[in-house]
Amino acid sequence: MIKLESVSKAYPGQATPALTEADADIAKGEFVFLVGPSGSGKSTFLRLLNKQEEPDAGRIFVAGKDIAQMSSWKVPMLRRNIGSVFQDFKLLPAKTVAENVAFALEVIGRPRGVVRKQVPAICELVGLGDKMTKYPDQLSGGEQQRVSIARAFVNRPLILLADEPTGNLDPQTSIGIMRLLDRINKTGTTVVMASHDRGIVDTMRKRVIELSNGVIVRDQDRGVYE
Amino acid sequence: MAFRPDYLVRETGQNLFRNPSLSIATILTVAVSLSLMGAALLVSQGVEQINNRFKDEVEFIVWMDIDVTQEQLESVDNILQDSPFVKRLSFVDRDQTFSDFQEFFADEPEILELVEADQLPTSFSVVPQDANVEYIRALGTEIEKESGVEEVQFADENIKAISSFSRGSSQIMLFAALASAVAAALLMYNSIRTAVFARRREIEVMRLVGATKWFIRIPFMLEGLLQGLIGAFLSIFAVFGLNKAFDSFFGDLDSFVFRDFAVPSTDVLFIGGFLMLVGAFLGALGAGVAVTRYLDA
Repeated sequence: MIKLESVSKAYPGQATPALTEADADIAKGEFVFLVGPSGSGKSTFLRLLNKQEEPDAGRIFVAGKDIAQMSSWKVPMLRRNIGSVFQDFKLLPAKTVAENVAFALEVIGRPRGVVRKQVPAICELVGLGDKMTKYPDQLSGGEQQRVSIARAFVNRPLILLADEPTGNLDPQTSIGIMRLLDRINKTGTTVVMASHDRGIVDTMRKRVIELSNGVIVRDQDRGVYE
Repeated sequence: MAFRPDYLVRETGQNLFRNPSLSIATILTVAVSLSLMGAALLVSQGVEQINNRFKDEVEFIVWMDIDVTQEQLESVDNILQDSPFVKRLSFVDRDQTFSDFQEFFADEPEILELVEADQLPTSFSVVPQDANVEYIRALGTEIEKESGVEEVQFADENIKAISSFSRGSSQIMLFAALASAVAAALLMYNSIRTAVFARRREIEVMRLVGATKWFIRIPFMLEGLLQGLIGAFLSIFAVFGLNKAFDSFFGDLDSFVFRDFAVPSTDVLFIGGFLMLVGAFLGALGAGVAVTRYLDA
C-alpha cells in the first residue's frame, strides 16, 4: 500500500536533513506507529505520503502509484484516498459537527444524497450521533478529535494518516481515540500514526518504525516505544 | 469538479456576508477606483467630442455680400476653381446657410424668428492644398480683394490650439483611466487577499480532503466577481452624476468651445457597461490570483 525507496528530504536553512534515505514497506490493512522525538522526521514522513511535501530524492509509492512522478492536478485524487488527522484537529469553527464532516464530501463533489446518508452514519460510528448540531467550541478535546477522524474517514479512504492525534488529549481520552483508530483499521484501512506517547505505543503492540534525526533506526513488528 | 449549485450559492453567499465590513470595504474600493476610471473616460470622451467638432478640414470661409450679383459669384467661383492651391471647394447657398443657422440656434427660437433666409449671406468653404498657415493667409487675403466678397474668415487660431490641446489631454485621460484600473486591481487584490487569509484554514482543509484547485478557487472568484459588479454598479451613479454636473457647469458657462463637453446619456451607459465588465473581470481575476497563493500546499 505504501512504499518508500531511499527517500531523502531536507528543508532549506536547516542543518540536518528531515529524512535521509528512508526505506519502508507498509502493507494494506497494517497499523504502523512512527515514533521518535520531536524533529526526528515523523511529520515529514507523513507529509510526503499525501504530497504535502516533495522528496529531494527517492521514490514513494502509494496504492501502487509513484507519487513523486505524479502531476499536481492528480494530487486531489490521491488525497481522496488518504484521510488525515492532526494534533490540532483543524476543524472549521463556524461549522457544526455535521457540517464539518459533510464539508469533506461536498468539496469533492459528492451528491447530496450521499452526504445525507454518510454523515449521520459516520458521526454515529465515532460516537457523536447526539452532537451533530454542536459547534467545535462546544465540544471537549476528545470529541473534537473524533469529529476530525469522522471527517478523515467519511470518504472511506484506503489510508489514514494521523500526526500526533492524542498529543493534546489526556491519557483517558487518548485511549478512546486509539480504540476508534483501531476500529477503523479493522475495516481494512491502513493507518500510519506518528506519536511520541510511550504508553499508547506500548499498549497497542503494533508495528513500530522509529526515526532519529531523519534516519529509520528501527522497524519492528508488534513493537514498543523503545 | 462537479459543482453542486446549492453548494456554490451557499458558499459564495456565506463568504459575502460572513465578513460584511470586509465585503463593504472591497465594494467601496472598487466603486471609488472605477468612478475615477469612469471620470477619466468621461472627460476623454468629452474632449474627443470637442475635438471632432473642430477637426473639420475647412480652413477658411469666403463670405459673400448679401446682395452679391450672379457675375460676382461666378467670378470668385472661377478664381477658386482655377487656383492650383485649392484642394476642395464647396458653395454654401442661402437655404443651406439658413438650415445650418436653424440647427445652430435650435434652442433659441427668439433668434430664429428674427432671421429670414434672404437675410443670410452665401459662402464658399475652401480646403487648401497645403495646411501651412502663412500660405492660407496669402490665398485668403487675395480673394478678399475680389468684388462681392464680404469677408474671408480663417479657421480660428484658438480653435486649432484647443484642438491640439484636447488631443493631448485625451491621451492623458486615457492614461489616467488605465492607471486607475491598475489601482482598482491592486486594491481589490489586497482586500480579497485579506478575505482569503481569514479563510486559510478552510482552504487548508479543502486541500487536505482532496478538493481540486478550481473547486476552491471558483467560489472566491464568484465572490470577487459579485463585489466587482456591485462596486461597478455604484460607480455608474458617480459617473452619471459627474456628467450631469459637467452638463450644467459647462452649459452655464456659455462657452462656445465647451458647450458640448457633457456626453449624451447613451455614451454614459456605454461607459457604465464597460465599467461593469472591468469590475467583474478585475474582481474575478484579483480573487483568483489572491487565492492561488494559498493553494500550493
